[in-house]
Amino acid sequence: MATDTSPDRIEIGQIDWEEYETGRFNFDRKTVGSTLSLLAVGLLWLYDFLFVAERHPVLEQDLILFELSLTPNNVDWLFGLTLVALFWYVVVPLYQNKRMTMYYWSKFKQNTAAIWSLGFLAIIFVMGTVGPLIIGHPEPNWGNPNAPPVFFGGEWAHPFGTHRTGEDILEVTITGAQVSLQVGLIATLFSIILASVVGATAAFSGGWIDEVLMRFVDLLMTFPTFFLIVLLVYIYGGSLFLLIVILAFTGWGGTARLVRSEALQRSEESYIQAAEAAGAGKAYIIRRHILPNVSNTIITAATLIIPVMILTEAVLAFLGFGDPNIWSWGRIISDGRNHLATAWWVATIPGIFLFFTVLSFNFLGDALRDALDPRHET
Amino acid sequence: MSAETPLLEVRNLKKHYPITKGILKREIGRVRAVDGIDVSVRRGETVGIVGESGCGKSTAATTILQLEKATDGQVLFDGEDVTTFSKRELKRFRRRAQMIFQDPDSSFDPRMSIGESVAEPLYVNGMNDRARRREIVGTLLEKVGLQASDADRYPHEFSGGQKQRIGLARALSVNPDLLVADEPVSALDVSIQAEILSIMQDLQDEFGLGILIISHNLGVIREICDRVGVMYLGQIVEEGPTDEIFTNPQHPYTRALISSIPVPDPHRSRDEVTLSGDVPSPANPPVGCRFHTRCPEIIQPDGYSFEQATWRHLMDYIYRVHDQNIDVESIFEGVVTEQEGYDDIEEVPLEAFETRLREEFEIPPSLADGTAEQTLTDSIELVFAHDLEEASAVLSAEFETVCRQEKPAEIHIEENHRASCHLIEQDTTAVVESPATDD
Repeated sequence: MATDTSPDRIEIGQIDWEEYETGRFNFDRKTVGSTLSLLAVGLLWLYDFLFVAERHPVLEQDLILFELSLTPNNVDWLFGLTLVALFWYVVVPLYQNKRMTMYYWSKFKQNTAAIWSLGFLAIIFVMGTVGPLIIGHPEPNWGNPNAPPVFFGGEWAHPFGTHRTGEDILEVTITGAQVSLQVGLIATLFSIILASVVGATAAFSGGWIDEVLMRFVDLLMTFPTFFLIVLLVYIYGGSLFLLIVILAFTGWGGTARLVRSEALQRSEESYIQAAEAAGAGKAYIIRRHILPNVSNTIITAATLIIPVMILTEAVLAFLGFGDPNIWSWGRIISDGRNHLATAWWVATIPGIFLFFTVLSFNFLGDALRDALDPRHET
Repeated sequence: MSAETPLLEVRNLKKHYPITKGILKREIGRVRAVDGIDVSVRRGETVGIVGESGCGKSTAATTILQLEKATDGQVLFDGEDVTTFSKRELKRFRRRAQMIFQDPDSSFDPRMSIGESVAEPLYVNGMNDRARRREIVGTLLEKVGLQASDADRYPHEFSGGQKQRIGLARALSVNPDLLVADEPVSALDVSIQAEILSIMQDLQDEFGLGILIISHNLGVIREICDRVGVMYLGQIVEEGPTDEIFTNPQHPYTRALISSIPVPDPHRSRDEVTLSGDVPSPANPPVGCRFHTRCPEIIQPDGYSFEQATWRHLMDYIYRVHDQNIDVESIFEGVVTEQEGYDDIEEVPLEAFETRLREEFEIPPSLADGTAEQTLTDSIELVFAHDLEEASAVLSAEFETVCRQEKPAEIHIEENHRASCHLIEQDTTAVVESPATDD
């Protein structure tokens, strides 16, 4: 069976392993790139925080059609950080492991509803990230209240109609998409990071560390988050930043449990033993084997947490615990619901967007679970 | 050949797992998975360890490679004791001693391409040059009969046999001196088994590897091994050259294993040796010879000459009584359901109970020897009265075998063929005697 090795081939027997035994520092481009860009976002925030006075844009640029103006608040900075992290840890790996991506894609695309959901979410994503940069904040316009949408007697200037104080509903919807994305992505990112760290630590340390962490998770999962939010809103007033922080720090319990059990299961597989037998250390094994294999679970869990976060924010805004300066979908639905008879579009159009966004994330999560769940793999 | 130091020499290796209880992890017992084994592997030699499931073979493999810490004993690799190695030395040792796993499906990370998996030992051992790693992976994949371009594919794209070949390529990537194969072919089809084994042999010839192969399949062992160790309940009961073991097995357990190999000839009848009972728990191994609870050739007490089968059945009964493990109620129930006239277990008379018990243990209605029969009847009467302790005392006063009383010494039948069994001790053919390792 052994084929003859051609002369230009490396003779395995002749490798001098002693020369490789010296210590080494070895970073790949991805690690360097992600660290640098995250650091850059951090530095920009620091610059903004220290040197740019409030209410002054960091960047102001007159483009031909519209004016580009950036006045980021803390939530925007966090959102930027989240997007950078998503780029390095989702987009780049997908591109690097093309073969694996194609394999999962072929499984994923069997689900038609999920493909439609993905398309819809792509639109929402562009709307929520690029849209607000172009349109800025919806401004009241007392001269044009309660204009109906186009096709219902309205004009193309306000295709979704206007609010009773004259805000363009399209602009409100776009701002709402941004808020929903911010809540969904930031809170989810931070909660899955917490969940992964706690879950993996518990699984690998075992003993009393495992015990303490998991009992804390039990406590967290029985904690009445809603009352905490009501209390803090009462004390500090409604704030999107505060809401995101609370959601991020209270919503990771279930995922932590998932990660822990998955990590425990993975650590019994024989490829872990193979890596150990090759001389690999614990850190290497966690980084190269455990995390990539648990990531399927994490990604699936994350996709199903996002709609929960979005809905929670909408519910709180609807109930009036939201940020009074920000148009979120929950707030506009709450505003418009009293005028359904006279201006049905105010509550209905953002409501439809909210409904389909949450539905799409759920479809996406289900399809991802079918495609990625390791238990279905051969 | 025998003058040089063996590549691997395992001396009295033990691996015990503590059984703990409560939060304070108080040790209440030990599972003696590996309990003092000696194995040696020379360069270019293939040594097999064979035994039933649960006898500690796989634990022996992982303990030898220091994937688990040995409880006691030495593992000499090139004459140096691996169990005392520092982290750095251990890493070097692991480069030189590689392992192949039983299940080809779980031994590859599903998220890594085959090329990455094969190159992993290279990377872990410090080879940063990506191009060079790739070149080595290509060479290795071709050596095991795949294509260099397969490196970009993922484990799910390969069959079990192909994965096992890739496993070989991974193990060989760092040019090891020793290969430990834990059931390398048991998860594969028979037709593919032979293929993998022949690749292993080719590679052994090419690289001069020492191979330690662990298997429950004697056919595999016979095909590939130069020497075999037969393992039972954490100990090696017989060890010798493969031909010797197969043509002249000394230990009754080896004989039983060999007789279990299917013969592809329906007309040839053979004396099949069946083992009674289950493998005892390694947490509480039998005293004396570990195999005596199941041994078909268990030695009879002085002055008795039962038919061997009767004696074995009698011993089965005696052990159940000794271990208080006999299900008296089920014998009562048996009588009630099998025979007319009894509605309740209270009504069952001693005679019916005795008949049922003898049937259950396949003991004849009456033993030829008067004293033995009397003792047996007495003990059954005590069992009938649920007095198992007294029954045990009565039985052990009369029937005692050397197999239970003493641990058999290790006896060299020929220079490199050794076995531990009282039967051999009774023969006078023993050439050299070495003391039994006791703990």
